[in-house]
Amino acid sequence: MPSIVIAVTAVELDAPRAAPRAAWRLTLGRFLSDRAAVASLVAFGLVLFASFAGGPIVSALVGHNGFQQFPYATNATLDPVGLWSHVPTTQQVRLDEYSNVVPPPKGAPRTLMVLGADGALGRDEFIRVLDGGKASIEVGVFAVLISALIAVPLGCLSGFYGGKVDAVISRLTEWVMAFPLIFFLVFATVHLTPTLRPIGWGHEIPAGVPMVALLIGVFTSFYPLRLVRAQLLTLRNAEFVDSSRMVGASGLRIIRKDLLPHLVPTLLVWGAVAVATDMLLEVGLSVIGVGVQSSTATWGTLLAQTTGTIYDASLSGSAGEHHTTWHTVWPTIAILVSVVSLNQLSESLRRAIEPWRRA
Amino acid sequence: MRRIGFLLIRRIVGGALTLWAVVTLTFLMYWSISPQPGRFVYPVGPKITDYQLRDGAHRLGADRPKLTQYGDWWWHLVHGDFGHRWSFAHLSNNVLTTIPIGPSLYPAVRETLSLMIGGAILAVLISIPLGAVSGRRIGSIADKLISFFALVGVCTHPIVTGKLLTQWFGIDLKWLPIGGYCSFVNHPAPPGLSGNFQTCGGPVDWATHLIMPWFTFAFLFLALYTRMIRASVAESIHEDYVRTARAKGARERRVMARHVLPNASLRVLTMVGMDIGTALGVAVFVEFAYGLDGLARLSIETMTGDPFASATDLPMLLAVVTIIALIVVLGNLIVDTLYAVVDPRTGTADRPGRTKEIAAGVM
Repeated sequence: MPSIVIAVTAVELDAPRAAPRAAWRLTLGRFLSDRAAVASLVAFGLVLFASFAGGPIVSALVGHNGFQQFPYATNATLDPVGLWSHVPTTQQVRLDEYSNVVPPPKGAPRTLMVLGADGALGRDEFIRVLDGGKASIEVGVFAVLISALIAVPLGCLSGFYGGKVDAVISRLTEWVMAFPLIFFLVFATVHLTPTLRPIGWGHEIPAGVPMVALLIGVFTSFYPLRLVRAQLLTLRNAEFVDSSRMVGASGLRIIRKDLLPHLVPTLLVWGAVAVATDMLLEVGLSVIGVGVQSSTATWGTLLAQTTGTIYDASLSGSAGEHHTTWHTVWPTIAILVSVVSLNQLSESLRRAIEPWRRA
Repeated sequence: MRRIGFLLIRRIVGGALTLWAVVTLTFLMYWSISPQPGRFVYPVGPKITDYQLRDGAHRLGADRPKLTQYGDWWWHLVHGDFGHRWSFAHLSNNVLTTIPIGPSLYPAVRETLSLMIGGAILAVLISIPLGAVSGRRIGSIADKLISFFALVGVCTHPIVTGKLLTQWFGIDLKWLPIGGYCSFVNHPAPPGLSGNFQTCGGPVDWATHLIMPWFTFAFLFLALYTRMIRASVAESIHEDYVRTARAKGARERRVMARHVLPNASLRVLTMVGMDIGTALGVAVFVEFAYGLDGLARLSIETMTGDPFASATDLPMLLAVVTIIALIVVLGNLIVDTLYAVVDPRTGTADRPGRTKEIAAGVM
């Protein structure tokens, strides 16, 4: 016996082994060696940068912000100017005796609108798209955090303890998930708008964003709840849980110390997609006309300007009258880039975390 | 047959229970937010008096005991007429006229079902070849292109697809009508207007008006179904029975059609069943983009409340909730039956669930 022990010790001491690599390092390595993963990360990073820093930077460069209205950015019929226009900053539009618009005096200061104006009000479309990204991404991220906050405790309760609580929660989840989410959301939003919509924090978190995030977060929490529950169902009889139980750990401690770390990868993969989904939901609510108020720029309200809402339908009402196809295209491109990159990010995360599972 | 019979009975009972629960819950929830039915009779805004509120509620029969109203609602439902709306109630000469729900509900259901069924068929028809091509050679250029197309489809909001298609094919190219709905049945001109009355109806008008909505609807689901069929094909293409079929000398097309693709049919069915609810949510935006007055739009309008009365129309709300629940329950019933027919292993056990993908969000 002693000889074997000595031999093993000798091997351990002599062999110049590489430092043991932590699992997360391996995962990171897999993630970084995947071209699509890096591309999606970079793309979403750019979207984040453009949304949060882009607005102020462009404002500083061109000298106006996304809230200022320029009467000369529209023509006599209130149609906005097009791409890359230099617009007089004159605030008063003068009319001659035939009420034609008099061009501003020569040498009046002009300001650059990269994507032209946003409609009859003559605000800068480019800065509004950038600022809209901030609100949209905030909605997505806050909603995901809120639904994780709801889903993780309930899912743990349901999956780990089972029994009656589990039966009630699963039944409820099934029922709610069978029906269209947008109807619940619209109904709740309409009734809560007077109390919740004014909540906000300056231009950083525009009013309405917390309400939309909260409601979307609450109503989408059923999906992560099922994920967490399913994961705990498979894990609660694992050997490491049994061993924890044998040394006398309480249920709460087992969940906190042994099971929660296992949920992190699942929640990461879900979270990346869910931010995208919640951003699309925000678009839906704005288009219906019940989300963030239309004067605040989000990608949803920018789209709703051109498509109209139920209060101002596009086919019969005046919505979209002073807008071109470009006004639909800009927010669409922004949404598409961020949603596609988030989806790819989630897919790549899943592949990096669980390389043994195929698509 | 007996197996399917048992399954059906179980499902029908379950569906009826769901329906009952949904209607009852809506009823309870609605009365718990203290509605003011009187506002529909006297739509005078904030100046409404207490007397007017009570009188209006009395005229609408909304001051009866809640249980009576609940029973009354079921009585109307059993007779298939859903009662009368509160919205558009009109008081003149001390007589209150209200309009029945049926005539505004049934055409809306027809429109939405035309949209959803046509769109679903289109989505499945397009996604089968795409999924088959994509799944046969994972990683080929065709696969990459189709996967990217699928990703874009999932990530595009239907309202955007609708808006852009309307702009290009409706307004710029003038190939297709930009919106509206035409009945499948050709209605004769009204008696007084038989001269140059422009009718819009019949299968051709119906289809041309619905091509863009169908495609918009399908674009989103197409992506999900393509991905799923791709995964299924990629899985079963290396199975032994496929190799056997090839070894027997079967043509490639026969191998795909008879041995590989049938495996995907169960998953497609499962997905169709689970997507009915989602589809109704997507239908909101499609109807919205093309100006269809369908059920989804009607529900949203009911839920946002009557702008004149600034209150919610309870009978209409109950009607749309019931119809939505009915569509979900019946749709699932049909899918379950088909599932049991297609897969002989299905007995009393539930069909396997699937992980809901991101389209769940759009709707």
